[in-house]
Amino acid sequence: MMKRLSKFFDARRKHFEDGKKFEKIRPLFEAIETFFFIPGNATQNHPHVRDSLDLKRLMSTVILALIPPLFFGIYNSGYQSNLASGLSLNFMAVFVNGLWIVIPVIMVSYGVGFFWEVLFASIRKHNISEGFLVTGLLFPLTLPPTIPLWQVAVGISFGVIFGKEIFGGTGKNFLNPALTGRAFLFFAYPGNMTGERVWTVISGMKSPAADAFSGATPLAVSAVSGAFNIVKSSLVNAGFTFPKLFFGAYPGSIGETSALMCLIGAFILIVTGIASYRIMFGGILGVLATAYPGYIFNQFYGNSSVPMLSLHPMYHLVMGGFAFGIIYMATDPVSAPGMNTSRWIYGFSIGALTVLIRVFNPAFPEGIMLAILFMNLFSPLLDHYEIKARLRKRVPNV
Amino acid sequence: MEPLEKPAQVALLPEKIPFVKPRLKVKIGDKVKVGTPVFEDKRNSNLIFLSPGGGKIANIDLGPRRAIKRVVIALDQDEEYETFPIFTEAQLENIERKSLIKTIMTGGLWPLFRELPFRDVADPDAMPPCIIVSLGANEPFQPVPEAYLKGNIALFEFGIKILQKLSQNLIISTSSENSYVIEQLNTHVTHVCQGVYPAEDPGVLLYHIKKTQAENQTLFINGQDLLLVAMLLGTGKYPVARTVVLGGTLAREKKHFFTRIGVPLGHLTKGRTVNVDNSRYIVGGIFRGYSDKKDSYMGFYETSLVLIPEGNEKEFLGFARPGFNKPSRSRAFLSYFNKSLLPMDCNCHGEERACINCGSCAETCPVDILPQFTYKCILSDEIEEALAHGMLDCVECGLCTYVCPSKIELCDVIKNTKKAYYLEQL
Repeated sequence: MMKRLSKFFDARRKHFEDGKKFEKIRPLFEAIETFFFIPGNATQNHPHVRDSLDLKRLMSTVILALIPPLFFGIYNSGYQSNLASGLSLNFMAVFVNGLWIVIPVIMVSYGVGFFWEVLFASIRKHNISEGFLVTGLLFPLTLPPTIPLWQVAVGISFGVIFGKEIFGGTGKNFLNPALTGRAFLFFAYPGNMTGERVWTVISGMKSPAADAFSGATPLAVSAVSGAFNIVKSSLVNAGFTFPKLFFGAYPGSIGETSALMCLIGAFILIVTGIASYRIMFGGILGVLATAYPGYIFNQFYGNSSVPMLSLHPMYHLVMGGFAFGIIYMATDPVSAPGMNTSRWIYGFSIGALTVLIRVFNPAFPEGIMLAILFMNLFSPLLDHYEIKARLRKRVPNV
Repeated sequence: MEPLEKPAQVALLPEKIPFVKPRLKVKIGDKVKVGTPVFEDKRNSNLIFLSPGGGKIANIDLGPRRAIKRVVIALDQDEEYETFPIFTEAQLENIERKSLIKTIMTGGLWPLFRELPFRDVADPDAMPPCIIVSLGANEPFQPVPEAYLKGNIALFEFGIKILQKLSQNLIISTSSENSYVIEQLNTHVTHVCQGVYPAEDPGVLLYHIKKTQAENQTLFINGQDLLLVAMLLGTGKYPVARTVVLGGTLAREKKHFFTRIGVPLGHLTKGRTVNVDNSRYIVGGIFRGYSDKKDSYMGFYETSLVLIPEGNEKEFLGFARPGFNKPSRSRAFLSYFNKSLLPMDCNCHGEERACINCGSCAETCPVDILPQFTYKCILSDEIEEALAHGMLDCVECGLCTYVCPSKIELCDVIKNTKKAYYLEQL
């Protein structure tokens, strides 16, 4: 089988060589071949030995870490849909419905995004970078389950082209491409990205359950609950207890609802050392350091402050997309800072900004997306100053 | 340690001596003695390289653009020796520094003194701020100091006397694992380095101890090479003895050999290899050395020969395997739990990609360079900035290239830029 596959590629390689019929799409050929085989290229220079870790392994570890939120997202989308539509809540029925909702979104994201990757790689004559495998899966997991497929296509196109390729491709982008795509959809088609109706797919139009259904997310509930100190009770009234928010069986973007699943992913990423734990812990610290003073302040001067501040800070960690964002999005090494202290500051600022946007900005119930994109812009600056400080300690050579 | 019998031929490899532009002083068929000048440096005709054998010049191999690759000397049964002045310790006390350097240069061993940060042959006219003697580089498969010091302690101490004439400041460094050196040379050792490769490298040591800019032009010499210098002045003969290590998975016998400078690789490996097809001969260590053909020779500086598989085979679905025996610094493979020795080969284990700023290189750099940023400075021609980043402190250990998941030749980029910068200044 292996031998035959190897021969299959060897026999077809000649069509993709320079001056041959398919020379233009050689990156596509190489992407497929190197998926099956790590190439046999030996070192040309010293050092003569190399580490076994390459970008394929690195990115597939991130994919592995994305599996828990992905599967839970599939289940939850089906569950919410069946619940709202008054259909069977049997596990298989729910999961199959979830597959029907989520798989098309992922397929469009990968298909359209991959097209752009191949196009740019062919024009630039370089290989396709594995980074897209992650972008193409992250993007759909941040979308509401009801997202029209054409918008998925438009969003991933924007993300790949304007978030990455026009700056020179992987490694040269300063924004997270998946979030850039999401931000584009968020501002271009707010009707499909926010509100109460987008989080749950209703099947069977006339079902009575659907009419009575309100699909508000916990963040929306906490933002609109008018008076002081009732945020928690309005959350509980809407069915959002802390354990429920932690486990994630509530309406929201496909992959973001379960903090537990994200924690499993974080565990994989930290144990393998693939993503920066500094950014993740910095983010958590940022949330707590911002929400706690407000929370304490609120206990004394409640009536005159912003009602959402009365929510216990721990809720901010489990609600909405914070866990997903700080674990998978903020840790994208290209758009995050490269220096360790900067990573702490970057993570901390994302956490702090998330809370500030959630609490003080009435226009956006969720803040993690804008917080990450905003801090993406600052990461070169953070790096710059940390490097400058570090270089001052060196004994100069010249 | 096993003494090897005399080889039929030895060679000099001018190409492998850094920055030297060789001008030949012999032609094919000439008779040479041990210590007859073979070539000189065009930059400084006093910098001469002597024949490591007595016999006839059998061959002069030229590479591309007529670069002199090798000068091969077929050895006579009874080799003749050129004679050099002999010094006793008392005479050494009274000799002037300048004439001592001249003696070492005429004796062909000045090139063993190298100058940081470019690792060129030391400038004989400059006064070095410091000389570092490193006893054993802890790169895998280099000779341990015990192998060449045993029975030569007095000679080594004579060598130290010579160095004391050359510089006021002498550093003798060894690794904390070399208990033999610490015991035997207790009074001489000034610095004990702790840590894995390349903690003992003179460049790394200098980086950690230097206080001023002037110290950058420190000289260094290997412990084994210092013995050669001591032998030259002590015996009046050009010394050719070398302790060499053969290692690697494809070497059946991994051990020290006592042989001579410029020995053929085949002489070292004869009958001691497994599966000679598709193997790589690495002269000078897996991190810093160069690969050479089986019919080549050991270089002037090199003391190690490593044989490992070329590893140019494809691997089916390699990225998805658990990787229980894949060596990696990262924790992304199950080999993290496998504490046994893992097989190494020369495969890149992936294709070159754009830098994703993961920072693995900076974590391994022994002299605190940020290779991921420094290399971007170099690519955008910001040489001033690269210099500020400490590009010249780079000890060319190759660890950044080793760990890079994007398979970028970081070390090569930095090394070549250093070289270009140096050549521009000459």
